[in-house]
Amino acid sequence: MTTMNKSLIHLLLVCCGTGCVANGAREVYQALKDNLTSDDKAVLAATTSARATGCHGLCAQGPFVRILPEDITYCRVKAADIPEIVEKTLKQGEVVKRLLFRDRQKKALVQGQNDIPFYRRQTRVALRNVGLIDPSSLQDYLERGGYRALEKSLLDMRPEQVIEEIIKSGLRGRGGGGFPAGLKWKACAATPAQPRYIICNGDEGDPGAFMDESIMEGDPHSVLEGMIIAAYAVGASTGFIYVRDEYAQSVASLQKAIEEAENHGFLGENILGSGLDFDIEIVRGGGAFVCGEETALIASIEGHVGEPWDKYVFPSEKGLWGQPTIINNVETWANIPVIMERGASWFTSLGTEGSKGTKVFSLVGKVANTGLVEVPMGTTLREIIFDIGGGVPQGRKFKAVQTGGPSGGCIPAELLDLKLDFDSLSQAGSMMGSGGLIVMDDRTCMVEVARYYLSFLAGESCGKCVPCREGIKCLLEILTRICHGQGEIEDLELMEDIAETMQQASLCALGRTASNPVLSTLRYFREEYLEHIEGQRCPAGICRELSEFWIDPAICTGCGLCLPRCPVEGIKGEKKQAHRIESDKCIRCGECIDSCSFQAIKVK
Amino acid sequence: MKLIIDGKAFNAYPGDSILDVARREGIAIPTLCYHEAFGGQGSCRLCMVEVTAGGRSRLVASCTYPVSEGIEVKTSTPAVEKIRRNIIMVLYKRASGSVLMQKLYREYGCSENSLGEKQEERCIVCRLCVLACEKMGTSAISTVMRGIDKRVGTPYDQAATACIGCAACAHICPTGAIEVLDSGNIRTIWNKNFNLINCERCGQPFATREEIDYVSRRSGIEDAELCFCEECRRKKLVGKMQGFSPC
Repeated sequence: MTTMNKSLIHLLLVCCGTGCVANGAREVYQALKDNLTSDDKAVLAATTSARATGCHGLCAQGPFVRILPEDITYCRVKAADIPEIVEKTLKQGEVVKRLLFRDRQKKALVQGQNDIPFYRRQTRVALRNVGLIDPSSLQDYLERGGYRALEKSLLDMRPEQVIEEIIKSGLRGRGGGGFPAGLKWKACAATPAQPRYIICNGDEGDPGAFMDESIMEGDPHSVLEGMIIAAYAVGASTGFIYVRDEYAQSVASLQKAIEEAENHGFLGENILGSGLDFDIEIVRGGGAFVCGEETALIASIEGHVGEPWDKYVFPSEKGLWGQPTIINNVETWANIPVIMERGASWFTSLGTEGSKGTKVFSLVGKVANTGLVEVPMGTTLREIIFDIGGGVPQGRKFKAVQTGGPSGGCIPAELLDLKLDFDSLSQAGSMMGSGGLIVMDDRTCMVEVARYYLSFLAGESCGKCVPCREGIKCLLEILTRICHGQGEIEDLELMEDIAETMQQASLCALGRTASNPVLSTLRYFREEYLEHIEGQRCPAGICRELSEFWIDPAICTGCGLCLPRCPVEGIKGEKKQAHRIESDKCIRCGECIDSCSFQAIKVK
Repeated sequence: MKLIIDGKAFNAYPGDSILDVARREGIAIPTLCYHEAFGGQGSCRLCMVEVTAGGRSRLVASCTYPVSEGIEVKTSTPAVEKIRRNIIMVLYKRASGSVLMQKLYREYGCSENSLGEKQEERCIVCRLCVLACEKMGTSAISTVMRGIDKRVGTPYDQAATACIGCAACAHICPTGAIEVLDSGNIRTIWNKNFNLINCERCGQPFATREEIDYVSRRSGIEDAELCFCEECRRKKLVGKMQGFSPC
């Protein structure tokens, strides 16, 4: 719980994460401030404070207004709801029931955030302040214990002790590779060259991923604090935060935080009187996915085209401008202050043998509660998707979950009890990546999914090395053909052959993992490929040339919901009589299937 | 320092790549994007070899892998050969019009498959042309776009102000993918026309005005000294040398 000034009776936290802002959160916040400060509510203005915070996490239900200390969470709030909230809740102590979260499984209204199943099972470490503090307020961060870890590290510990603590914590990089952060630091400190650099990788480019964005937006000081601690540990004087250009709110939030930190002596010369001089600069990326790869990112900061180089010598020895450089991802940096404050042994009490601590996942796709989830490493997919995420909506069946971003893999229902950590995910043919989880239901064609990811990578590979560039091109060509019903059985072996070379010979991790969408779907959904090639049928009804739909008269209630949804007027039938599809008219768009509440529309 | 390549011990200098040592010692490792003038790029990946260092074996690009004491290199293992064959196969599919790629496709015994071929294409995006242009100091061409659409071009595919028509790019291109059209006294390259100047001695058109000016400016050699074609320059030099008698 966040601290409250004693004279305050109420603290209102308005989620102003990017998603909620798009849904009018700024207007909600403004309306709240207007209502509090208008004359006849002078009492309220003195006793109530409204705070625009970062992302609350349960994006599907935003914008949120959370009222403390009672812990009342209002969902999907509009500016027009504010007068009622002020009048009823703040003045009369009454709860506005229609704005509460509805727990569909228990069919009950839920009042407190921690009673919402989505939040109940989470352990928020990297996201500890996100949603509770005003990111533009250094004061808020300090009240939550901010910069205490910095003080402890700089004033009570020697640099090598700091590195030792991070090594002991077992913290592995949250950006995708999972390399132990402490070992990077150690290697950097052991390289004699000066100057040394610290880089924060905020180039989160996976479609559907926004964990780093929410930290940069909602708790920028935690990232700065982590970087300053590292600067002290390895003796660096300059830091860079590389943020993708689309993240305007992150840039603004970080900029403000850097200014505030400079004004209060946390950045600049002789930080906290320790003798450490350290500055941080923001670099805006141009939006190339490959620039999330650390050597491409470094090339981009240097002003070159964002292309990776062979990492036979790590950036920790030879990185930015050829100097020793530590590069870690946003979430990794946000973990550093907590580890330094609470100690490595506390951190290692969370997680699994090989993966310590927690991980933030962005849970999206065909799942009821989409949003940001932070859980201890080793939490199972089932817990995340069903207990936290509320399962697959509209009564459809869970089919697969895609983890690790575009070059991750698809994990099938049989592996729902897989414990999520770095090693088990790579063993399953996928990867942790930066923590994207895209849930897919039975209306998902796995061949088409592989084709989609390869088409994404076809445009986002840097195109420098042959195995990645040409390999992706060949795989995409074959997958497109299979989706159009022109696949051959030999294609499967050919794809596996090319994929193996891509894994072994590509220059960077993007190329080495680019074939994962193909390999993982071939591994777990080979039958579906065979259906496409030999059976000339797409079982999910997605690939148009291979799909045909029919309405099961035994299930159809004749409700007529599908009729207006059909763009070609290809469904016929009287009300309360079973309908039928005229297959010569049908364009196989699937609109009817998605509209049917009874799942009466089937794929032949 | 010492390293072992294919069972034999060799000496290497710090900073050498595996390929540097192999070239020096006459050990064949195939490459497409390597040129001794520029060093390793690590982009064609044809030079992959197997390296054992500290008890751990891995496949690496020999043109960028820096040697260290005691490493053991195998330049031809089944895994390495398979990678090379597949690289040639996929690259041939992109540039089926290249005679070099057709030859390699046959040599590596790539099997027939369903993948389409680009018959009219010759460029394999090895980027040697870009590096040559950069080395000239002109940087008129670069790779453009990314992913599978990556190719070489001038800015916005327009006639580049920086281009001096020297055709270094075309000379270094291993697949003859860059078109240089010399017709009478006009040279056309990268969508730009140049006037060729004639050799002072034989009268044949041989270089663009821009190139002569550029080289003169960069090297400090007088314009007049440069106005001879390669052949005549050699003859001139021989003439000069005849004035000296060997001791």
